[in-house]
Amino acid sequence: MNEIDNIRRQRLLDEITKTPYFELLGVQIEAFEDAPILSAMGADHLIGNINLPALHGGVLGSLLECAASMMLLDKNPQGVTPRLVNIDVDYLRTGRPVKTYASASLVRQGRRVASVKAQLWQEARDRPIAIARVQFLLDRTGRTDANHG
Amino acid sequence: MSMFLKSLKELPPFGVAVGMRLDETDSGPGIVVLLDGDPNIGSHDFGGSFHNGVILATIDNAAGWCIRDHADYREGIAMATLDLRVDFLSYAALSETLRIRACCEGIDRDLAFVRASAEIVSTGQLVALGQATFMMGTSPGPHASVAQKPA
Repeated sequence: MNEIDNIRRQRLLDEITKTPYFELLGVQIEAFEDAPILSAMGADHLIGNINLPALHGGVLGSLLECAASMMLLDKNPQGVTPRLVNIDVDYLRTGRPVKTYASASLVRQGRRVASVKAQLWQEARDRPIAIARVQFLLDRTGRTDANHG
Repeated sequence: MSMFLKSLKELPPFGVAVGMRLDETDSGPGIVVLLDGDPNIGSHDFGGSFHNGVILATIDNAAGWCIRDHADYREGIAMATLDLRVDFLSYAALSETLRIRACCEGIDRDLAFVRASAEIVSTGQLVALGQATFMMGTSPGPHASVAQKPA
């Protein structure tokens, strides 16, 4: 891992450590591509259906939101945590209680709003178990991206 | 008046982990799940507010439960969440308790449609609004929020 990735990692680690709910989910930083790749283990306390068994739908939704907000933080290191406006989750496959990966990509970032796509996968990245469209309200003072500064 | 099924009262492990509890005294419409503020479900380590994710999770759970509580629901039918949308209207301090109400607005053999809201118990302030769609009769489908009891 190169030095830039180490800086990116530390920034996200700080954010996860100071967010108790992400600690409860067991969010880990897996790798960096254009956006960070996060993961969570399929821990027993994250299960929503004990007979399948399957991860709780709310856990999957939370991981999608986490990936989206962490991607924005990674892209806007100076910005304050954006406010989540809404999230729309499509559940595509059963979330088995195994290691689950999460990442997000920026669809469009303006001065006040960011539109983000997020996805979760388990055994194969091209077989997502859930996807989401997530919208954020950005810091009013507008430290967003260079194109809109 | 809700006639809670036995299986309805069984919290999934994640429901236990975040402290969801069914409000059995509620007279409807739909069902109510209460969520007490706790540092573990906070958005910041300095007090802070309920994390949006745990509100989403409780809405998802309540949505599944309210279908099982609906008069037209046939006990034993498995179901799966197709989609869930949540709008976040305001923050709620962890010193508060949230009341999450979910109502099944339509159900047939194939689909069920749910509307839900989350508000602060002490003030009535609206915190979040949700809507979810469920596929009925999956065998056994993804993401049924409540475990089915073996016959």
